[in-house]
Amino acid sequence: MRHYKIRFYVLASFLFLFPALLLVLQSLSKTWRFQRGEGIRFQLDSFQVLLSDPNLWSATGWSITIGLLVLLINLVVGITTGKALTSLSFRGKSFIEAVMLAPILVPVLAIAIGLHLFMIRIGLADTALGVVLIHLVPTVPYSIKIFQNAYQQLGRSMLDQPVILGSNPWHQLVTIELPLMKPAIRSVTFLTIVISLSQYAITSIVGGGTIITLPMVFFPFLDTANASIMAAFSVWFAMIPFFLYMIVEALLWLLPYSKKMRRTTT
Amino acid sequence: MKWFKTKTIYLFIPSFLFLLLPLYGLGAAIAQSLSDGNAFTLIYYKELLQSDRFLTSVGFSLYIALVSSLLSLLIGLWVTRTCYPLLEKYTPRLIVWLPMLFPHFVWGYMVILLLSETGVLSQVLQMTGLLAESSDFPVWTRDPNGIGIILTYVWKEVPFVILMLLPVYSSIKPQYYDLVQTLGGNGWDRFRTVEWPNILPVITESFLIIFAFTISAYEVPALLGTTFPEMLSVLSYEWFYGSTWEERPLAFAAMSALSIFLLIMTLAAYLFLNRKRWRAMRGRIS
Repeated sequence: MRHYKIRFYVLASFLFLFPALLLVLQSLSKTWRFQRGEGIRFQLDSFQVLLSDPNLWSATGWSITIGLLVLLINLVVGITTGKALTSLSFRGKSFIEAVMLAPILVPVLAIAIGLHLFMIRIGLADTALGVVLIHLVPTVPYSIKIFQNAYQQLGRSMLDQPVILGSNPWHQLVTIELPLMKPAIRSVTFLTIVISLSQYAITSIVGGGTIITLPMVFFPFLDTANASIMAAFSVWFAMIPFFLYMIVEALLWLLPYSKKMRRTTT
Repeated sequence: MKWFKTKTIYLFIPSFLFLLLPLYGLGAAIAQSLSDGNAFTLIYYKELLQSDRFLTSVGFSLYIALVSSLLSLLIGLWVTRTCYPLLEKYTPRLIVWLPMLFPHFVWGYMVILLLSETGVLSQVLQMTGLLAESSDFPVWTRDPNGIGIILTYVWKEVPFVILMLLPVYSSIKPQYYDLVQTLGGNGWDRFRTVEWPNILPVITESFLIIFAFTISAYEVPALLGTTFPEMLSVLSYEWFYGSTWEERPLAFAAMSALSIFLLIMTLAAYLFLNRKRWRAMRGRIS
């Protein structure tokens, strides 16, 4: 028992913790040349260079705006569909579930180039809204799945009770479902934001060079910037999900019972 | 109660609206691959089949996607199997899921930083004298065998596999393991009779998700691949965005063919799992 614990911690730290630390260390150190004995020499220039790039700030702004909109729509679609799939039973339900998952199994590049012409026609190409729409394709199936699991864990009886007591659906959502599904909301937040931040090809196709998000600044940086700046940029990427997560956490605090629960447990 | 049930149907509206996006996108891509502007044609598919560049790319993409997804599944399954009681705790789980915080291409950059010819590992080996100079370090990134691409994918997808498998392993009742042990079964019996039937649907689903993603994603091969052989996504992106408009239909054809291939694969897996479930329900397991 003890033995595998130690093995796990050694392996997991080496494989997962160490690479992340490596990026953080390199971002705070001058570019390493260990073979010449130039190891960790602390500096913050990399962040200064990165943050003084005007493109970075506007790209961060776009990435956050798009990410938040994608998250909002994901929550709406995920919650409604998750609830429908849990509370309804009908023939062919497993087929519907498979169809809901299917969009992540089709190359999003195919969908993006297919939608491109249509988006030009209706004026969505080169707009943030168009980018938001295409970012929904690789994210929504995950959200539906996560919320379906969350509703299943809540259980049918928890969903029937407020209806019997005469509550309307909205009241039911805010006072019962959302407070009990906080872990699901957190997972969806992280997953959606990271996936949205990861899209280079489809953003550049639909955004057409007008909507510059962070990946589009990152890729050309690779040819010019040194390792410290690239590492700083990588750390910047990981900070955005955290930042947005904190916003979501603050909003969750507004839900009913958030404060009372604390008080009753003490 | 009936009132409640009928109203719940409306909750499907947002997802059906959403499904229009991929449906229309894929439909339009296929339509454009089959039309030369005004009439039906198969010429672009014929052109693809005659293009060595495309055929090499298909082979290379299949190889990368298969190796990446199988390795991720095997390692993820192994970690989950051996460590799932530990993974139910908060901190170990957090460590394992750390790579999920980074976009794929950022993780790809990490692989370059660590494992390129002038990367950290090579530097450390030179420092310790195990390596004379950086040119002696094997080429693992931007290499013709796609090692860098596979490394990045496996490294990023193992946490995903653990994420998918962990709930299944937590839900298997330990009494089943006791039963296998009482009947004199070994570790393999335990895996085959208790774990495998439980994890099969999730394993299939994870394989499909990872395979479909790795065979069609653009970012990582664009960062860590070479110009030859190149992956389908990189080739199609180039055809779509290239200087000449004449190659655009080829991008549509290549992507449509790949999509249809993946959908057929999914359908086959779905039917296979459903048949299995159907049999299990009638009491004829295996």
